[in-house]
Amino acid sequence: MTRKAQKRWWQFRTPLAWHNLTSEPRRLLTALSGVSFSVVLIFVFLGFKNGLYDSQVQLIKSLNGDIFIINRIKYTMFIPEQFARRRLYQAQAFDGVEEAYALYMELGNWKNPLTNRTRSLRILAFNLNEPVLELPELQEYRSQLNQPWTALLDRRSRAEVGPQTPGLKTELSDRQVQLLGTFTLGTDFSAGDGNVIMSDQNFVRYFGNLGPEVDSRSLETIDIGLLQVQPGVDVVALAQQISQTLPNDVSVFTREQFITQELTYWKENTNIGFVFSLLSSLSFVVGVILVYQILYTDVADHWSEYATLKAIGYSNKRLLWIVMQEALILSVIGFIPGFLISSLLYDLIAGATGLVLQLTLQRVLNIYIATIAMCVISGSLAMRKVLTTDPAEVFGL
Amino acid sequence: MSLSKHQENDRIVRIEKLNFYFGQGDLRKQILFDIDLDLQRGQIVILTGPSGSGKTTLLTLIGALRSLEEGSLQVLGKELRGLSHPQRVKIRRNIGFIFQAHNLFDSLTARQNVEMAVEIQDNWGNKRELSSHILTQLGLGERINYKPHHLSGGQKQRVAIARALVNRPQLILADEPTAALDKVTGREVVNLMKTLARERGCTVLMVTHDNRILDVADRMVNLVDGRLESDRPVSQLAAMQDPTGLDRQMFML
Repeated sequence: MTRKAQKRWWQFRTPLAWHNLTSEPRRLLTALSGVSFSVVLIFVFLGFKNGLYDSQVQLIKSLNGDIFIINRIKYTMFIPEQFARRRLYQAQAFDGVEEAYALYMELGNWKNPLTNRTRSLRILAFNLNEPVLELPELQEYRSQLNQPWTALLDRRSRAEVGPQTPGLKTELSDRQVQLLGTFTLGTDFSAGDGNVIMSDQNFVRYFGNLGPEVDSRSLETIDIGLLQVQPGVDVVALAQQISQTLPNDVSVFTREQFITQELTYWKENTNIGFVFSLLSSLSFVVGVILVYQILYTDVADHWSEYATLKAIGYSNKRLLWIVMQEALILSVIGFIPGFLISSLLYDLIAGATGLVLQLTLQRVLNIYIATIAMCVISGSLAMRKVLTTDPAEVFGL
Repeated sequence: MSLSKHQENDRIVRIEKLNFYFGQGDLRKQILFDIDLDLQRGQIVILTGPSGSGKTTLLTLIGALRSLEEGSLQVLGKELRGLSHPQRVKIRRNIGFIFQAHNLFDSLTARQNVEMAVEIQDNWGNKRELSSHILTQLGLGERINYKPHHLSGGQKQRVAIARALVNRPQLILADEPTAALDKVTGREVVNLMKTLARERGCTVLMVTHDNRILDVADRMVNLVDGRLESDRPVSQLAAMQDPTGLDRQMFML
């Protein structure tokens, strides 16, 4: 009898799966393009979905507060409702609240000096001595922004808004404005075509006296109130306490709750999620079919060889594992180019639309898991051919 | 008592009153009738018969590739009747199979194809040496690392034989191993098979129509319409010394 030895880690099985895949480079290339193509489609569609959602809360995430106060009616950012300034002072009086800031928002018409057409931009205004927005550019322009009729423009505003050269003079809501420079925030559905930052004093200059039909703005009504909490204070409990004590014309949220309210609005009131989830599922199915074709062809072409392995004593389990390995190898080497192409496309799309497309590790991992699932499903479909193979049939062929 | 036990052990295949049917219900058709057959250790037996006589079916039954319904079939001391599918898979690991087509993976080298067979024995320590050794014995020492499409038909069939022999099975089942080969190559392949089988004391049951290779066998079994028609030592045939008579005999087969 031959000497039998336990399999050690350095003793490999013959890598049949690998050899079968790589022995025909053209087929391998087709398979890889198939996997990469589906991976790119899934990345792009999910990227749009996440990007549209992420963009909606981009502004909230840049606001420098632990607790937020808004008018109760303002269930999403684009509802132009304000609350009384005294509510902010009342909230500031609570134990544990360190600072309270006010953010004023309004839509203003920005004239593109090249085309003379106006675009609707969201004006963000606040006391420049207060760290309301965490943007590095603000430090640089703080003193200049205190001059009347000056503003900063969002670098990610739509191209139609026009040139962004510092020193540019154009019109905002029919008044002269001087562009001092740019900052980076990004557009969303309630921002119109971009964002503008100015001082609260300038805000009153532009919107404090709008004429008889429109409600003029003053610093007495606030769009978003920001509270900073002393270190070590339970933010959730404090927010709840303020919420219960203040009259119910305002809502009080922690940062998380504020973000959740905004996301919930967009998830429940738009088809973004449905449409893009459907599109990515379809891409997934396309991937399954492409990979199945490849694996099935391999199994069908090597039918008599697989049947022979079965005849000489290979169990179904081991043969299935061979096909599974082919599927897993495809998922790994198909994912990498798909991922690289996708990250390139993300940059292009973000540049073209101003949407925030983020490739977080979690999202990349999720899509990789989807890719594995895609290949494993195809593998198990292709395997049925191996399972039903009757090894007795290789005799007499 | 011990003598008879020894004799038992020398019967590699033992078939008693075997009946076999294909199909169900009205379509049920009997393929094999009342087969009784013993194969002794070390014998090379040729199974012949017209097509449709059931010889391939008998071969697949002995190879544990089909499950048995009636009668008794013992292979290597184990009764095959009533075995579950996984049990039959285990039996097959101790049998060498040679097919009409070589059925080698194009993507693997000759040695890797043979190693695939070593691996089912969970024999990891020296699978490479075992495979190289048997390929060298079959005259493929120079071509161990060639892939099948760089090998001639006879060389491919020799790799297939190496795959069947590498685990030193006590029983080899061969189905028309020379059908795809020319006269000289077929002869060469069968001679090698015979030498190695003799050397290792293994029993060979070979289905063939190829008259040119009958003389390698010790014994010839003829199956007609699912019944055993004749079973005689090949030496008797050769002893007739009459070429025309022999040919007639062949023709009858």
